[in-house]
Parts: sequence; C-alpha cells; structure tokens
Amino acid sequence: MRVTNMIPDVQYAMQQSQQNLSTAELQVSTGLRVNQLSDDPAASANMVSSLASSANVDQYTSNITYLLPQMQTADSAISSIVTSLNSAITLGTSGASSTLLTANKQSIASQVQSVLSNVISLANTSSSGVYVFGGSATSTPPFVAASETYTSAQGSAGTPLTTATALNAGSVTTISDATTGQTMTYKAVAGDTIATLQAAVSSAVSAGTLSAGTTAAINANGQLSISTNSSTAGIVVSSNDAALGSMTAASGSAVANAYAYVGNSSVNTVQVGDSMNVATNLPGNQLLTSGANVIGSLTGLISALQSGTTDEIGSATTAVSAALTYVGQQRVPLDSTINEMNSQESYLSQEKITLTTQQTALVGVNLTTAATNLSQAELDNNAVLAAAAKALPQTLLDYLK
Amino acid sequence: MSLSASLSIAVQSLNAADGALQATNNNIANANTPGYTRKVVVLQEAPSTTEGNLSAGNGVDLTGYQSVRDELLQTQINQETQAQGSANAQLSSLQQIEPTFTTSTQDIWTEMSALFSSISTLSTDPASSSSRQAVLASGQDLATAFNQASNTLTSQQAGLNTQVTQDVGQINQLTKQIAALNPQLAALKANGQDGGTLQDQQDELVLKLSALTNVSVTQTQDGETVTTGNGTALVAGSQSFALQAEAGSDGMQHVLDQSGNDITSSFTGGDLGGTIQTRDTTIPGLLNQLDTLANQFATAINAAQATGYDQNGDAGQNLFTVSSTVAGSAASITMATTDPTAIAASSDGTSGSNGNLANLSAVQTNTLASGQTPGDAYASLVYQVGSLTSSANAESTATTASLLQLNDQLSSVSGVSIDEESANLITYQQAYEAAARVVSTIQSLFTVTMSMGTAAAE
Repeated sequence: MRVTNMIPDVQYAMQQSQQNLSTAELQVSTGLRVNQLSDDPAASANMVSSLASSANVDQYTSNITYLLPQMQTADSAISSIVTSLNSAITLGTSGASSTLLTANKQSIASQVQSVLSNVISLANTSSSGVYVFGGSATSTPPFVAASETYTSAQGSAGTPLTTATALNAGSVTTISDATTGQTMTYKAVAGDTIATLQAAVSSAVSAGTLSAGTTAAINANGQLSISTNSSTAGIVVSSNDAALGSMTAASGSAVANAYAYVGNSSVNTVQVGDSMNVATNLPGNQLLTSGANVIGSLTGLISALQSGTTDEIGSATTAVSAALTYVGQQRVPLDSTINEMNSQESYLSQEKITLTTQQTALVGVNLTTAATNLSQAELDNNAVLAAAAKALPQTLLDYLK
Repeated sequence: MSLSASLSIAVQSLNAADGALQATNNNIANANTPGYTRKVVVLQEAPSTTEGNLSAGNGVDLTGYQSVRDELLQTQINQETQAQGSANAQLSSLQQIEPTFTTSTQDIWTEMSALFSSISTLSTDPASSSSRQAVLASGQDLATAFNQASNTLTSQQAGLNTQVTQDVGQINQLTKQIAALNPQLAALKANGQDGGTLQDQQDELVLKLSALTNVSVTQTQDGETVTTGNGTALVAGSQSFALQAEAGSDGMQHVLDQSGNDITSSFTGGDLGGTIQTRDTTIPGLLNQLDTLANQFATAINAAQATGYDQNGDAGQNLFTVSSTVAGSAASITMATTDPTAIAASSDGTSGSNGNLANLSAVQTNTLASGQTPGDAYASLVYQVGSLTSSANAESTATTASLLQLNDQLSSVSGVSIDEESANLITYQQAYEAAARVVSTIQSLFTVTMSMGTAAAE
C-alpha cells in the first residue's frame, strides 16, 4: 500500500488522544463519570428518581427538625398540666376533710382557681408563634375567658343596626360556647343580613352547639348583642364582618372560671417518610374539654370547695383524678409520635448516605481509576505527539540535501 | 541507422523526460490540493524500423497523462460523507439541547422537586405566609423552567429551519457547477482522453454535495447524472434542476423539486438530511413529551387544588394556567395566581388545616394521564435526549473513522507521495541528462564527420 500523506492520520490520532485526555481531566476535576446526559443516558435517567428521593429525604428531615421542638413543647405542657392536676387532687383531698373550716375551704378553692389558671395558661402554650393546642387554628390562643355578652363595634343609638342590615359575603362570625365546648361558625353569603345570623344562632341552640338561651339581638344602643343570658355559662364571639365591626365582651359580663375553646378539632398530619405521616397536633378541646373534661372537673372542684358538702368535694376531687387519667391517656400517642420521629430522623440520616452512595455509583467516578486513566491518557498523548514529531518531518528530500 | 535518426530518438527521449518531469512537478505542486488526483505520464515505445532482417527501435513516444483514480472508493467516500453530514448536523443540535435537560440546577426536575419540597414545608405550618409565598415562587420557577426548555427546543427548530434554506441554496450552486463541467468532460471522454483536472473538480463538487445531502451519481455519455434519494434529478447532462425552499402551512421550510412536488422527507443524508430529521422528527418528539408533561402536571396540580380550600375558606382555584390542548403547553404554562392565600392547603375550610396538601404532594407519586409519574416522564425525556445525543455522537465518530480509512485507501491510489515524486524527479532528471548526453555524443560524431570531410578536401 502506498502511503502518501500521514498528516490526516496523525491529526486524527492527536484529536482522539486529546479528547481522551480532556475526558480524563474532566472526570478527575469533577469527580463525575457522567458530566452530560449522553455520557450515560440510562444512569442520567436513573439519577432523576435518585435525586428526587434525596430531595424528599432532605425535606422529611427538615419537617422533623421543625416539628419536633413544637411537639416536645406540647408534651412538656401536658406534663405540667399533669403536675397541676396532681396538685389540684391534693388540694381537693385536703379540702374534703369534714373538720375543715369554711374559710379554709375558700382558701383552697382560691388555690385550685390558680391551678385552673395555670392549666389554661399551659393550654395556650405556643412554640415559634404556633399555639400547639389550637387544632389547626394555630395563630391565636385556643382558650379564652368567656363572657355572658358580646357586643358589636358597629351600631349606635343614632344609627342602629337592624335585622335588615346586610352582612358582607364571605365574612365569618364564630360563637364558642364554654359550656358545650363547641363552636358555631357562620359564613355569610350574598344577601345575608343580621336576621340570617339570628336564625343561624337559633338553629345552633336547637342543635345543641350553643347553650340554651343564647341569643343574638339588637340592643338599646343599636348594637348587635350576642348573649348567653346565664351567669354560669359563657361564650366567646368573634367576627370579621365590617358591617358588625369587632365583637367585644361587654364590661362586667365575664363568667368566672369559664373558658371557651376557640380553636378547632382538626388534626394536621405531615409526611416525614415515603410512607410515614405523623399527627402533629393534639386539639385542646380533645385534651381538656372532652372525655373526663379537665377544665370542667377543676371548675366543679372550685364550686364544691366554695359551697359544697364534703361528699361533693370528694366527688369533685374524684372527677379531677379521672381527668388526670384521661390526660395521661391522651399523652401516650403524642409521646409515641415523638419517639417515632426521633427514630425516623436517624433512619433518614442513614438513607441520605445510602442515596449519596447510589448516586456516586450511578454518575461518579472512582478517583483511583480516574487518576490512573488521566495518567494513561497523558502518556498516550505524549506518545502520539512524539510519534508525530518523529514521523511528519521525514521525507526523502531530507536525505537528498 | 543514420546519425539524424539517432538524434531524433534522443530528442524524443528529451521530450519524454521533460513531460515526465512536468507531471512530477504538477503532482508536487498539488500535493496538498483537495480532490487532486495524481497524474502519471503515459510513455509508449515508438514503432521500430525494419530494414531487411534488421529491426531497430525508434525511441519513446509521450502519448499523454493519466489520472490515477478508483471510482468505487470515491463512491464509498461520497456515501460515508453523506452519513457523516447527517450525524454531525444532528449532533450539533442535540448538544445544544442536552444542557436543558440536565439533572443539576434550574432544570425542570430540580424545580419540580423544589415545588414539592415547598409544599411539604407548608404542611408543617399551613398558615405561614412565607411558606405559602415559597410555594408560589417554586411554582413560578417550574413554569419558567418549562418555558425555557420549550423555548430552547423551538429556537433550535427555527435555526434548523433557516439551515434548510441555506443548504438548498448551496445544493443548487453545486449542481449548477457540476452540470457546467459535464459537456467538457463528455467531449474529452468522447475523444478517449482523461478527464484530468476537470474530473478532479467535478469529483470534489460531488463530495461537497454529498456533505449536504444524499445523492446518487451515475455515469452517462453526457457526463454525470446526479439524483436525490427518491430519484429526483438534480443534474442531467449540462442541465441542473434547482430545488426550492418554500414555507409550508406548518411554518417550516419545505423542499420542492422543479415541478413543485414536496420532497422534504426524501432527504435522509448529509447536512440537509440530518437537519430535516432533527427539525421534523427529533425536536417535535421531544416537544410533545415536554408539552404532555407540562399539561398533565398542571392539570393534576389544579385538580388537587380543587379538592381543598384556600386560606380564605374558599374552594381551591387553579394554581397553573395551561392550554387546554397538549401542544404548546410547556411554552405557555404560567402561574394562575400571585396570591399566597390561594394555595388550597385546607381540607376543611379552616385556614390552619393542611389536609389538602397531601393531595398536592401526591401528584409527585401518582401516575399522570400518560401512565407515568412526573418523575418517570421526566426521566424518560432525559434518557431520550441523552440517548439521541449519544447515538449521533457514536455515528459521527464512526463515520469519521471510516472516512479516514477510506481516504487513506483512496490516497494510496490517487494521492501524491512526495517521496515517490522525489524519486521520480531523480529518475526523470537522469533520463533527461542521459538523453542530453546522447545528443552531445551525436553532436561530437557530427563534428568528427564534418571534420573528416574538411580534411579530405584539404
């Protein structure tokens, strides 16, 4: 075979050699075998799901990091409530003595009132601005001192509200009843008036959501007045309807030892694993006003100490003991969730390592191999250049000079 | 044999050596000229003279020059050049598309993943306005990623569309030049002469044409006939038939033959073939997958929104605005709202509920209408882009290596070897010197003969 011109072959060999060198350098500098999709399309496609898993693991870890302190705060608050209830039981037991003077019982009643106030304060515990016992209503304290009557800011003797006063569509008015432990939520639609709201209140009374006797009426000052008409039951009213203005408790209408739950019963769940969701909150009404009713039992003990017989004080103390047991039961799932989240955090940490290893196997390069490849590529390139330097200048003309 | 006859043979030798030196000189001069085919001098022994029983040689005749060709190799090179042109055109486009579908930063999947992360963060505090704002920002980033990916593909398609027009223009120029050479070559061949330089020029033009499109070349008595892949004549004798690039109803440039027939799909090789393949098949396929993903993803998110309530307690509205048809979805997808309260996190109408965020998150793992999860759909797109680029790269590399080998083979036949020509130079120089010596010798003999005459006269 005649060999006429070696330049194209030498150029091709140099290009190939330099390409190999460039690839080897890139792999060493990036630590990656796959620097573009075409380097390994299948590995690139598999990276999509692997990266998604990594992002999810990071997010689950972040969720746990955010939620764990909040749940530990809730657990700590419940622990304090348990302590408070034990204190109330001790006070109730001492108050149930038949030899105790009335003045002493009144004193003990005051101490139980302090316990109740402390329990309410614990029930309104917040963590990073989140009220942990408000259900999904986390931005305001869930337990509010109740009053007999709330009146609207709007309306006056000169320009009174009337039953025909239109409400703003979309506005929400809530009435939380301390006695029933329930909340009536009224959302106005187009065409609604105060008369419509009044009808809604009547319906809620009929349904048992609100205590009997709860009414909504225009008072002598031309304001909307929502009232329980009872000295022992109380309500908390709120509204964002501009036609009514803010609802405030009428002066002097506060009901002693009555607290309405203005949170809700919603339990939010958050994903902390591909197949693991955890309940992140314990609604305050479930913890303190349902079942053995912590607040009710403490209120009953106060009443018994103030005016009851020894037997009645004993019974009231027994009720507080039952409430204590109930709170302990409610705490179990919360503690269990905290433990699960701690375990999950450890698992996710390990899973992150596993995924990183998987990704390295998919697109990464063994640095020892990469360094060896680079060394070999440099050697090859030098050899090609040396061969070209040797071969290209040699022609017959050199020997004919 | 007379001295005059000997002188005549010597002069023929001088001519032959001179002609051979000229061929060698020309070969050396064109050693690096693309398409040049080495020439060899054709020498023939002159008819001998017979006188009685004596037969005497009459020297050498220079009958012409001959190009050293291998038509089969040339044809193979043309075919491989067509394959290389197509592969390179596809590779060039795909390499520009490839970075859009990486799995590192600001690509669709990274942004989609960020959206789901932000939804998950919101689930820990559904009333948080900053978390809600983060969901909107992630959604906007995702929409932008879809827009940019679509824009990259359509921009690339528009660039290829322009390339079609340019390729057609170049093809028309080349076919015109090839046709112009046909009559001259036909005349030379009719006289039994070698095509020489003209044939070199025509072969080079056909090679350039092969880099642009797939053509077939057949030899006729009128010269070379050049046709496209579907048999449409581009060159016949001295006539060339120009192609036309004309905008079709789809907005793309279509290639029409001289009769106005659309022959776009018949171009499979060369730059034009690769360009049309990428413009009309590869990119539309990728765009369709991208549009399908954008459309079905947006529809799924909007459906999840509709099952919940926003922060005001109203039924969830669309989060994304996307066209009702799949086509163009990736280009047109936008956020339907800039209001953070519009995210339908709540499942019961209360502002603190996160019940519906599970439905939004589930879009990540649920199958879309296509039967794939969003991740699988994107992975499929990633694989396809990577695979297409890898295949085009492999094809380009293979054809380059193959062409190198074929060119080596052709060069071994037709190429100029400087070493060989140097040796020839010495050979023909010596032949010339020897012939000149013969002339000198005969001159001496003539002088002696003439002296003999003068001496006798004295």
